[in-house]
Amino acid sequence: MAYTNKLRVIYGDATLGLSGDGFHYIFSYERGGLESLKLNGKEWLYREPMPTFWRATTDNDRGSGFNIRSAQWLAADTFHKCVGIDLTVDNQHFAELPIAPITNEFSDPVSAENVKIKYTFETLTVPATQVTVTYEVNGYGEIKVMMHYYGHEDLPSLPVVGMRFIMPTVANGFDYQGLSGETYPDRMAGATEGTFHVDGLPVTKYLVPQENGMHMDTRALTITRDSTQNNADHSREPFSLTIKQAEQPFAFSCLPYTAEELENATHIEELPLARRTVLVVAGAVRGVGGIDSWGADVEEQYHIPADRDVEFSFVLNAK
Amino acid sequence: MDADIKWLDDPETFRVNQLPAHSDHYYYGNYNEWRHNNSRFVQNLDGQWQFNFAENPRKREEDFYKIDYDSSSFGTIEVPSEIELNNYAQNNYINTLIPWEGKIYRRPAYALSPDDGQEGSFSNGDDNTVGEYLKRFDLDSSLRGKQVRIRFDGVERAMYVWLNGHFIGYAEDSFTPSEFDLTPYIQDEDNVLAVEVFKHSTASWIEDQDMFRFSGIFRSVNLLAQPFIHVEDLNIRPIVTDNYQDGIFNVDLQLHGEKTGNVNVRVFDNDGNTLINETHPVDSTVKVQDQFLENVHLWDNHDPYLYQLLIEIRDDEGNLVELIPYRFGFRRIEINNDHVVLLNGQRLIINGVNRHEWDAKRGRAITMDDMTSDIHTFKKNNINAVRTCHYPDQIPWYYLCDDNGIYMMAENNLESHATWQKMGAIEPSYNVPGSVPQWRDVVVDRARTNYETFKNHTSILFWSLGNESYAGDNIVKMNEFYKKHDDSRLVHYEGVCHTPEYRDRISDVESWMYLPPKEVEEYLKDNPDKPFMECEYMHDMGNSDGGMGSYISLLDKYPQYFGGFIWDFIDQALLVKDPISGQEVMRYGGDFDDRHSDYEFSGDGLMFADRTPKPAMQEVRYYYGLHK
Repeated sequence: MAYTNKLRVIYGDATLGLSGDGFHYIFSYERGGLESLKLNGKEWLYREPMPTFWRATTDNDRGSGFNIRSAQWLAADTFHKCVGIDLTVDNQHFAELPIAPITNEFSDPVSAENVKIKYTFETLTVPATQVTVTYEVNGYGEIKVMMHYYGHEDLPSLPVVGMRFIMPTVANGFDYQGLSGETYPDRMAGATEGTFHVDGLPVTKYLVPQENGMHMDTRALTITRDSTQNNADHSREPFSLTIKQAEQPFAFSCLPYTAEELENATHIEELPLARRTVLVVAGAVRGVGGIDSWGADVEEQYHIPADRDVEFSFVLNAK
Repeated sequence: MDADIKWLDDPETFRVNQLPAHSDHYYYGNYNEWRHNNSRFVQNLDGQWQFNFAENPRKREEDFYKIDYDSSSFGTIEVPSEIELNNYAQNNYINTLIPWEGKIYRRPAYALSPDDGQEGSFSNGDDNTVGEYLKRFDLDSSLRGKQVRIRFDGVERAMYVWLNGHFIGYAEDSFTPSEFDLTPYIQDEDNVLAVEVFKHSTASWIEDQDMFRFSGIFRSVNLLAQPFIHVEDLNIRPIVTDNYQDGIFNVDLQLHGEKTGNVNVRVFDNDGNTLINETHPVDSTVKVQDQFLENVHLWDNHDPYLYQLLIEIRDDEGNLVELIPYRFGFRRIEINNDHVVLLNGQRLIINGVNRHEWDAKRGRAITMDDMTSDIHTFKKNNINAVRTCHYPDQIPWYYLCDDNGIYMMAENNLESHATWQKMGAIEPSYNVPGSVPQWRDVVVDRARTNYETFKNHTSILFWSLGNESYAGDNIVKMNEFYKKHDDSRLVHYEGVCHTPEYRDRISDVESWMYLPPKEVEEYLKDNPDKPFMECEYMHDMGNSDGGMGSYISLLDKYPQYFGGFIWDFIDQALLVKDPISGQEVMRYGGDFDDRHSDYEFSGDGLMFADRTPKPAMQEVRYYYGLHK
């Protein structure tokens, strides 16, 4: 095949399409991110992956006033302001996004070995800081996602720094290579390393729904679903997406709810019916603390200071 | 004597006709009964009782105990159970504040002035719900013709008892057994037992524990007959000698009944070897004294080795009258000259939890299955110690801890949090028991009952004077009680950390709660004169238990630090059916329209209320495994 290990690049007027053997991706210029991640005909995205900065307030966060001190990260987590998109196809950097009429002279098919698209966000904090999310796609369809948070000394400590993926349907479960159980930076000494399977998307049944389900130090994660929202898809054969570490292990949680949904419930049964999969891949996670629940902060070494840059990466559809 | 409802208002009246507390030994008619745990002398009264609920004392049926009272309008209730969980009264969870916060203005009697008796405070209290219980029974044939008493294992919070229309007695102290002699009035058949339970009395001020506030007969009720010669109390004192190898055994028996026959006292090891075998004529006191045992097998968490004590009472013809088995261990706890706590000569490290008695469906009316499940969880997760927060537990729990090597801090039923702390600040203007003379005897009585009932349990290494009750002369008196009666254990009390002037007279150990690791280290660095522990730490509310390593690493640096008890073992939440979803769901404080409440603060366990472990348990298992 002529295009083995090469990407087919589809220059659209609002998107950039990339496809290859068993994958097809659409990057939106209007919506601030990856709009479609299709593997073997199955869609993996409900909405564009976005930076995430909030975790559902834990009892200890509430007791220590962390949720109040850091409340602006809730807004930054809920709404996203994309201020720039930067595209490089092989070695060609586009000063301007390539839509008509620029692309009228392009041929089809166009192939490339490497495509890099960087979205720049301005956080809805006061003051604002910047976050970039770069997707780098190779000919095998592997997407290396790199997130960079630019530290700002006038901002409050962060609950989490990561990327949130919302998938169209509830996963059957997931398998990961990392640490046993639910772990946080200050609560992972007791975990054992290994490969673990989790059935479904269990929400830890804390009396008041709160941040839960984090897995630190993960090398690889495979999420398996068997349903889509595509009305013409009649199959219930399971299908999977694999995420692997790039330079460093990552942290993740895989739940049916966003932090905001968890935040809104005072009891487990108030959570909405589970209908999607919410994956958070995090580069920095705040500890949970435990000294007391009425004032003591998480130990300082387990904070995420806002003035320090956070950069992390991982590979989607890793081979 | 007639019952007087004014006793509810009087801190100096807390037991009327109640028999003195004594050791919790079981007794049988013969070996077969022991083997099957089925004593001929015991008649269990648990089950369906007749029940009438009144919103306050004025609405109660005052004559319900009389034999001609027509109780056909009464409903029924299961004994044991919580009145609130039968949906007669509203559930309420509240932490430090008193349950009538924002509803009724009260002050503890005599707290502000010696003339201030707070008359009618509870006897006429609008919030003082009343449960009136009736139980009709025939005496089992094996109990007939004998002295018969009744034992209530736990009743919250103040109780009046009648039998066949006659007043029997009154008791407070919700979490220890209350016994009354029924002999003068009991019949072979058609007995009518009447029990009137008030949710509040002056005892409410000193039972202000962080928990759902229930009321009712929440533990078992038994009739106990005494054979004509009966061991009322035994006091086993196994001593480990200074070489930590040999033992000295003493036991004192107090006997009731006829002065005839003999008492045989034997001690066996686990291989069935007889180590002690002494026979004495029956007398009101019988003692086995200073029996030296070479190379005793010591008891600890890893090897909870127990010896078997067997006491036989035989009449002059040699017939067995009463058989008492008790298992005890040899262990020695002390503080050395370097202020390090030692068990059997080795440094003691407490990998502990605080444990409320809790069952998501039954409240504090927990079952034997709950207890054995908790012990199993302890063993599996390297938990080696328990604090009975903040009251004595059901008797079988103490035996389970002996058998399984669980180090116990046996706490008195005492917490007066609302009287000295307001919105986090220390404000003891109306603190009780404090140094208020009228509140002295009641708290010393609680210390005595805790000691007398549980004194033979090897697992108890510490007596704890209570929880969060500030400090004053009356807590000094409790401390003195234990010091006078028991030199084989240490005394613990945390609340004295707020009143350094009492520091020399209260608590053998320095105890704080929730002190951050850095401040613990500050104390330890400063050449402490008392060993240090945290009676509560690692507050496990919701997603928590982070940073435990900072505490555990102090154990390696400072021998005077001997660990602590995690707060706490199990969430207090109630499993109820959600009318919207139809699911069985967990409910916490405030979910029953109960106000004022402390809401989800009821859920601080390492276990969810359904007894499944929280994710943090693997961390506890790891860190508690480092100093097993």
